[in-house]
Amino acid sequence: MEAIKHFINTISAPYIMFPVVLLLFFFVFPPTTGLMKINRRLGLYKLWTKQGGIALFSTLIVFFGFGLTDENFRKIVMKPDNVPIVALIFLVVFFLWLSMKQGWENDARIAQGKLPNEAEDAKEKILVWPDLVYIEFICLIICSAFLIVWAILLPAPLEEPANPSVSPNPSKAPWYFLGLQEMLVYFDPWIAGVLFPTVIIFGMMCIPFIDTNRKGSGYYTFQQRQMAISIFLFFWLVLWIFLIITGTFLRGPNWNFFGPFEYWDPHKLVALTNVNLSEFIYMIVLNQKLPSNILLREMWGILLIIAYFGLIPWMLAKTAFRTLYEKMGVARYSIFTILLLMSASLPIKMFLRWAFNIKYIVAIPEFFFNI
Amino acid sequence: MGQDERHYNIENLNRLFAIASLVLLGALIWLFKDDFSHKWKQYQDQFRSLEIEKTRVKYDLAKNQLDNSPEYQELQKQLEAAKKNYAEKCSDLGKTTKAIDKLNEEKDITEQQFRVVKAEMDAAKFHYEEAVVHHATDLTKAKSYYEKLDKRVQDLQASLNRIRESSEEQTQIITSCEEELKNLERQKRTVARQVEILERKLKKIDPGAMSMTNQIASLVRDMPVLEMSNSRNRVQQIVLKDVTENVNFMNVARVDRCTTCHLGIDNSDYQNSPQPFKTHPKLELFLGKDSSHPMDEFGCTVCHGGRGRGTDFVSAVHTPSSEEQRKEWEKKYGWHEYHHWKEPMYAKPYIEAGCFKCHSDQSIVKGAEKLNLGLNLIEKSGCYACHEIEKYKDWPKPGPALTHLASKSTKDWTYLWIASPQAFRHNTRMPAFFGQSNNSDPESVKRSEQEIHTMVHYLFAESQEFPLQSMPHWGDAQKGKEIVASVGCFGCHQIQPQPQKTPTSRQSLLKEQGPNLIGLGSKTSKVWLYNWLKDPHRYHPKTLMPDLRLSDEEAADAAAYLSQEKNTEFMAKKVPAIDEAVLNKIVDELLQKNMTPKQSQQKLQTMLLDEKLHFAGQKLIGSYGCYSCHDIKGFENYKPIGTELTEEGSKDTDKLDFGFVDIEHRKEAWFTQKLKDPRIFDMHKIRMADEKLRMPNFYFSDQEIEAIVTALMGLVEDGTVEKKKMPRTTKNLYMEEGQEIVRQFNCQGCHEIEGEGGVIQEDVISWLVNYDNRSPEEANAMRLSFSPPNLIGEGKKVHSQWLFEFLHEPTSIRPWLKARMPTYRFNTAHLNALVKYFNAIDSKRSPHEFPFSGIFDMKKITPEELEAGQKLFSKDYFGCAQCHIVGDKMPAGSADSWAPNFALAKDRLDPEWIIEWMHNPQALLPGTKMPTYFDPQNFEGAGPEDILGGDENLQIKALRNYILTLSQPQKEENKEKPKPEVQSQPPTSTSPSPVTSPAPPSTTAPEGG
Repeated sequence: MEAIKHFINTISAPYIMFPVVLLLFFFVFPPTTGLMKINRRLGLYKLWTKQGGIALFSTLIVFFGFGLTDENFRKIVMKPDNVPIVALIFLVVFFLWLSMKQGWENDARIAQGKLPNEAEDAKEKILVWPDLVYIEFICLIICSAFLIVWAILLPAPLEEPANPSVSPNPSKAPWYFLGLQEMLVYFDPWIAGVLFPTVIIFGMMCIPFIDTNRKGSGYYTFQQRQMAISIFLFFWLVLWIFLIITGTFLRGPNWNFFGPFEYWDPHKLVALTNVNLSEFIYMIVLNQKLPSNILLREMWGILLIIAYFGLIPWMLAKTAFRTLYEKMGVARYSIFTILLLMSASLPIKMFLRWAFNIKYIVAIPEFFFNI
Repeated sequence: MGQDERHYNIENLNRLFAIASLVLLGALIWLFKDDFSHKWKQYQDQFRSLEIEKTRVKYDLAKNQLDNSPEYQELQKQLEAAKKNYAEKCSDLGKTTKAIDKLNEEKDITEQQFRVVKAEMDAAKFHYEEAVVHHATDLTKAKSYYEKLDKRVQDLQASLNRIRESSEEQTQIITSCEEELKNLERQKRTVARQVEILERKLKKIDPGAMSMTNQIASLVRDMPVLEMSNSRNRVQQIVLKDVTENVNFMNVARVDRCTTCHLGIDNSDYQNSPQPFKTHPKLELFLGKDSSHPMDEFGCTVCHGGRGRGTDFVSAVHTPSSEEQRKEWEKKYGWHEYHHWKEPMYAKPYIEAGCFKCHSDQSIVKGAEKLNLGLNLIEKSGCYACHEIEKYKDWPKPGPALTHLASKSTKDWTYLWIASPQAFRHNTRMPAFFGQSNNSDPESVKRSEQEIHTMVHYLFAESQEFPLQSMPHWGDAQKGKEIVASVGCFGCHQIQPQPQKTPTSRQSLLKEQGPNLIGLGSKTSKVWLYNWLKDPHRYHPKTLMPDLRLSDEEAADAAAYLSQEKNTEFMAKKVPAIDEAVLNKIVDELLQKNMTPKQSQQKLQTMLLDEKLHFAGQKLIGSYGCYSCHDIKGFENYKPIGTELTEEGSKDTDKLDFGFVDIEHRKEAWFTQKLKDPRIFDMHKIRMADEKLRMPNFYFSDQEIEAIVTALMGLVEDGTVEKKKMPRTTKNLYMEEGQEIVRQFNCQGCHEIEGEGGVIQEDVISWLVNYDNRSPEEANAMRLSFSPPNLIGEGKKVHSQWLFEFLHEPTSIRPWLKARMPTYRFNTAHLNALVKYFNAIDSKRSPHEFPFSGIFDMKKITPEELEAGQKLFSKDYFGCAQCHIVGDKMPAGSADSWAPNFALAKDRLDPEWIIEWMHNPQALLPGTKMPTYFDPQNFEGAGPEDILGGDENLQIKALRNYILTLSQPQKEENKEKPKPEVQSQPPTSTSPSPVTSPAPPSTTAPEGG
């Protein structure tokens, strides 16, 4: 039992879990046809069947059932503020499964030349009154009863008036901001707190102009909108839900990582010796002192950034995204790839931090400019 | 709409709807129930039944008592008779009653008419007045109308008066008839008042005694929702406007809701009831209306801590006193740590810590014995020397000066002493630095040995010259023993070869002011002891050891006795040799703090052994903080090394390093563990030698630790209770200052001050038994006459000027006492503070406002008065000189019956006090041997009838005046007389005390004065 716990604690370490999640993600939700083939060969699509759903839920329930036998796990999971996040895990999995199942079923029908399931439904008409209103009303009653019972069983965790001289350890943002708080670990506040949120809003405004694929409107499908759905789920699952779960359950005192069965020891010491890319290149790889000239010093990082945002779209247009580039035209393609690269920069930076202790790619503290 | 158009089966939906609605209803009911059922309501219900029970018992008792009291029975009989009488005499009152009814009816009607007509008349009057000015035509009509109405008003007034009169007449008949009965009933009510109150209370609370309406009302008002209006169960709270709670950025009034459950806390009826109803155990001190901490003004959390606003067990932040209680509470109340409240309740063992918040300026908090003991231990152990504590800012260093160490001890002794002070003196206050849990491994022991060598070397190298005066003769140890036993050494010291099993008390600590005088022969030389005893301040100017004014011979004898005993076992221990390899390592490490390893190596090679020892010794004394307690040359300006403890009690628990020690994460537990083993938190940690914890071990007992932890928990800075502190009046300030000096100089070792102290009395008894050939019983009875005086009422008794001079340079007042008032070398501030202190205890005004001549003028004494006084003084009357010394004339009889010299009276005693004293000595000094000549019970007949017309007040005054003249001529003739005279009688063997004649203590022998 302890061995299992220890194993789970070990793989929960971000530098293991994150790459695994990332890797799995692209096989489970393949954005390209090539990956789709692998998906089929591995039979991963079977997740989106009834058996797959049962397997998914059984795994979750077994995991939580097993976890609740552990005191440390129980302490974190049963905390009144954290219970909704546990519910969130179940709900997200359920709805993801439901929509994917319907999507795959429709895909199968379309492949056979049939219309999607929703087309059948569309023939049938339902009266607003009494059918819709009545069931809505019943739902309302059931939800009210549920909320009341919840409130009785898990009273709101009210605390004393906030004291500026005593900050709780760990100090956590509200759950929906935990993704943002997590980003602050890897980026300068002006990037994580200002630039990224702005780009997110800007990016969402761009969606209707970039994604002009009219397929999948009014019915569930996966294959007809493979790339769009993958990209969306990448944002939603990896950069949002995963970070919230990490922030809630795995980030403990002093913002250290703790496995789900680990005791939240406030005295735990973790070596955090981060280096900037310039230091990494000059001092570790080249074994010499940092150049005094800022530009010379940060040259590598700057070049890397230029290459990342300048060369990669160009290269992709020539290779993997050729058809896309042709379809979208220069302007839309550029915006799309830049947004995509920006969002990819977060996991990349996370990985660099974990694997190489990289602090900043470009670090010019002289001008408060760090990337 | 046809059934077939429906998407869902309506029947099923209806069913689902019904179930969902029922579930919601159930949830709502649950919600109400959950919201309604608080534990405190149950407690209030329980308390009500308890209250009913108690009231019933009380009622029955009172009723029984009343029924059995003859007074009540008599009244009852009288009442019966009166009732009979009333029935007979006043049987035909019915007619009168009817007549009164009728008259009342008539009166009502007439009054009604009167009001109407009066209003009309007023209006007519106004109309007429107006007509006079404006409408002449209308005038006559208006006038006649007004007059008509006015007449009618007067008529009505007249008939009203008539009706009232006759009504009164009729009523009078009834009243007179009823008078007796009413009177008796009133009397009965007065007698039965207590019972009636209880009965009324029962009717209000007891469902059995309640009326039906009240029962229904109680039921309704306790129902859910309706309860908000006026339920019997309600949250009780005490709002304290002047004691605030800090909620960050603002202070709000403190609200204590503890009494919501602790319902019987201020009611002495519930002493044996179960918690939470139990009465407060110290009602006379707390909560009671007449106590010094009334509940309405102090609430609960000011003293106890905890969260006053909490209304359940957990949210009130109770603190368990032990591990078992904690477990019990977890089971019973679901208790858990309440993380968000920084001031949990004090656990029961440390409850007195709460007193210190407000009483921090006082030296002793009366009634808080554990806290007092803790503070005393902190003082005696000198915690304040390493750990700054605001309260002890100006206290002297607790250890002796080491600036002349070489003249006192040997290097070997010093080495062994530092290595293990407890091995030499079991109860020494010098703590152990070595042989502790973090430096007992073989490698550390080796290092420790060399460390001690370096420190000893430094101390002896830096020790300054101290010329020892040679002794006049070698001294007689036997005589010395008696001197030590009698002059008062045992007020501060003890000679206690074996550890005592008795628990530490504040009394026992008084005898630990100075060291336990064992094994001195090993520690120092006879010559040094002689020099020290002769003049302690010459060796150590800041020492608290006073000068006992021993003669050369006495000092030599005492030194001979004290140096007699040697601790051979201790001295037999081997002092390890200096190991240069280990020493080099130590020096190298110390050097590397400021140098590179290479530099350090180079330096090391140039250093001689002495240099190394000196260098390392200095660094290590600095690092262990020896200079905090001892004066050491070279460390004059060093700061204390410990953590400041002024606000230690408010420290956050997470700022304490619990290391890997498995104890509860609470402050009390940490302090306790730290005091038990100061190095324990190094356990399992990898530490360099200079990173290790350095706090030394005082080997406190568990009882002592609990007391010290109580004091530590009390060291808090709480601005919110500022208004509840002892008022900063001049008197209080003087008292506090004085108490501090009394504590520092251990005055209570010899004297009883403010009802405490005088521990020397035990040693006086043993002196009387061993050297004065008294039986133990006798000695016990005589102990007060031979002990230093009880200083009760000293401020009122003596002149401030005299007291000042006496404290500065004591002279003998009671030559028969063996114990001497030593010379303390008080500075002026001390002397003034002590004089003010004694005045403040007795609420005497400042000496500057109290000119002696204004009260008593010698010139005003008439010859008659003087003569009368002389007569009273003479043997024929009171025979004062039988016990009191007068000038150089000693009274006859044994020394234990002597009383102070009258020659000192004028300068020393307050004239007003003498009068008071003669009135009733027992009232001023309970237990004094001064006879009560003027019996306060029968004052008028107490004095002799043939002097001054038998006026006792005049007699006392005359006697006082006469006594005051006794010092007059002598003082003029020979100003210094009392001093040399007394000094010429060294209280040793040359004492005039007739040792051979064991006269029984005279019960009439005066004392005090």
